[in-house]
Amino acid sequence: MLEIKNLHASVEGEEEQILKGVNLKINKGEIHAIMGPNGSGKSTLAKVVSGHPEYEVTEGEILFEGEDITEMDADERAHLGMFLAFQYPVEVPGITNKTLLRESFNTIARENGREELDPLEFEDYLKSRLEIINMKDEFLERSINTGFSGGEKKKNEVFQMAVLNPKLAFMDETDSGLDIDALKVVSDGINKIAGPENAIVLITHYQRLLNYITPDHVHVMMNGKIVKSAGKELAHELEEQGYEELEKQFSLNGEAQ
Amino acid sequence: MSTAVQEKETILSYLDGNFDSVSDVKAIGAINQKGAGNIAEFPFPTKKDEDWRFTDLKSISRNHFVAVEDAGAVSVGDISDYYLPEAMNSRLVFVNGVFDTELSSLSDIPEGVTVGTLAENGEDEAVKTHLGKYVNYDDDQDVFAALNDANFSDGVFIHVPKETKVEVPIHILNVFTDSEKPFYATPRVLYVGEAYSKSTVVEEHIGLVENEYLNIPVAEFKMMEGSNVHHARIQRDSKKASHISRPMAHLDKFAEYHSYTICLGAKLFRNDPRVVQNDEEVNFTIDGLVLIDGEQIADTHSAIDHRHWHAQSHQLHKVVVNDKAHSIFNGKIFVRKDSQKIDSFQENRNLLLSFDGTVHTKPQLEIFSDDVLCSHGATIGQLNEDEVFYLHSRGLTKKKARELLVYAFTLESIENMEVESVHKLLLDEVVKFTSRDEEFLAVEA
Repeated sequence: MLEIKNLHASVEGEEEQILKGVNLKINKGEIHAIMGPNGSGKSTLAKVVSGHPEYEVTEGEILFEGEDITEMDADERAHLGMFLAFQYPVEVPGITNKTLLRESFNTIARENGREELDPLEFEDYLKSRLEIINMKDEFLERSINTGFSGGEKKKNEVFQMAVLNPKLAFMDETDSGLDIDALKVVSDGINKIAGPENAIVLITHYQRLLNYITPDHVHVMMNGKIVKSAGKELAHELEEQGYEELEKQFSLNGEAQ
Repeated sequence: MSTAVQEKETILSYLDGNFDSVSDVKAIGAINQKGAGNIAEFPFPTKKDEDWRFTDLKSISRNHFVAVEDAGAVSVGDISDYYLPEAMNSRLVFVNGVFDTELSSLSDIPEGVTVGTLAENGEDEAVKTHLGKYVNYDDDQDVFAALNDANFSDGVFIHVPKETKVEVPIHILNVFTDSEKPFYATPRVLYVGEAYSKSTVVEEHIGLVENEYLNIPVAEFKMMEGSNVHHARIQRDSKKASHISRPMAHLDKFAEYHSYTICLGAKLFRNDPRVVQNDEEVNFTIDGLVLIDGEQIADTHSAIDHRHWHAQSHQLHKVVVNDKAHSIFNGKIFVRKDSQKIDSFQENRNLLLSFDGTVHTKPQLEIFSDDVLCSHGATIGQLNEDEVFYLHSRGLTKKKARELLVYAFTLESIENMEVESVHKLLLDEVVKFTSRDEEFLAVEA
């Protein structure tokens, strides 16, 4: 579904590379976890894949279902079925969740030659998706993330994903700052959404989320590269050993180059 | 030192009018006379005057305006699109400042309440007592109020008696038609709310075509004890017109005055709302929403005068500027000596969408009391790019994302509209403003 080849990226207009040759292949039906210490480039990878204008791809390419999307605008990527759950969801006062989602859902439907839903149909559909994150109807009428608690903001990202039903979702630190109840709701929601036709990439610093969601593949990112990939057992290893061991190993390699 | 005395410019340099003749209606005639004296006397403002520093009056001084009857104005056609369904029979229509009986309909006005013209009610005690008493504030040499004083021969008179509520909104519809020559018009409103009365007034100014005229409305709202009014003011004048307005409210004990001014039209808009607290325990609002583009200028110079104990005042002034438009806000708040327990809120938020737009903002607080709470703030910003990207990443085009964010910015002001159809027409106006063309908001921040 997604193939990232030798991806290099920097902040637009700056020299310093943040991604320094990322290779990653994701098939449908899979759940991947990308782990790594702070500053390793995990969040940048998510932003670059979703088309954030702040970053510039300097080398390499991103293929989605065989199509080169490296230069595509963020909205076009969304139309293809990609989704980014933000690490820090933005507050947008004055626009309700419902307004955004209807605009978003219908735009994506239109772009894919599907029928748009009228306001009443859409309202029913929205309400049916609310149970995924265990929220009440009032949630729809609130301004996007405005005055939400940290947990509510993350739940809202999962809710948006449930409504838009993307083929591929990058979830950037969706677990950070969640208390135990919220973590359960969020991970339950993700498990319900995950299926044979879609793929999910969880970006996380900690193994905590992975107690609730079992990834098929775990990757470790360091210094702008994926340095190790393995099955779910890798997450447990990292939890026990920390990143230091790997860091030593790879910084040595780095110097050797 | 030069001894040459430069001849003083007055507004008479820019217009033709016979101000010697005064209205036969005594209450009006007396004001006409005083006004005629003042316009011959008061200097026409220039950028050297502090209150006019940023406001270019060229659109007035480069023109020559004539009285409506000499302008060759075309007669009005069907304007029923502008009627409010809630006010089908509580509507006063003025065409180029002249009352139109045919287009007005007042059959829903309850008995005992007066909604009519000043000319026909010239002998009413309330007219004699209150007309012209509030507009001249602090002896400022206000040329434009003086011109209205000198020129008006009619206007709106609303009198709501004690303990009476007018259920239907009162719609004052000022429309302006095309003309051979640019003309001036001086709409006038006198509202007298007796004790514990209540009503909603929608005051509209609409240019039917894009022609040049000078619209100088004056409104005086006398709010007696415990009276309450919701005053929506919607300015959709021609984009070539100049609109200089003087809305004034004078509040007795327990009175509430809530006004919301929406500025969409006019090449030059200057609005000087003034609220004077005449007794304790009053509550009032003078909110504004300005949406301007092209080369429009919108200038709000407000004055809120707390003169007694216990007042709550609210002023949220929101502005969206596109293209080369220019917004000016100067918000004076006075708290006089020994006016304690004042709670006053003022905020001016400006959204600047283009590189060429200009915003000037100046909160001006003069507080001579110690036990008061006055909060004020002014911000000027562009659309938040994180918000734009958030919406963009959800599949919305950047243009759509920006449109939605501008829409959201204006919503807070529009939601205060009590009359449903006004609420809706303003939302439509915002959509019209934001979806103007493909280029709209295309500028990358």
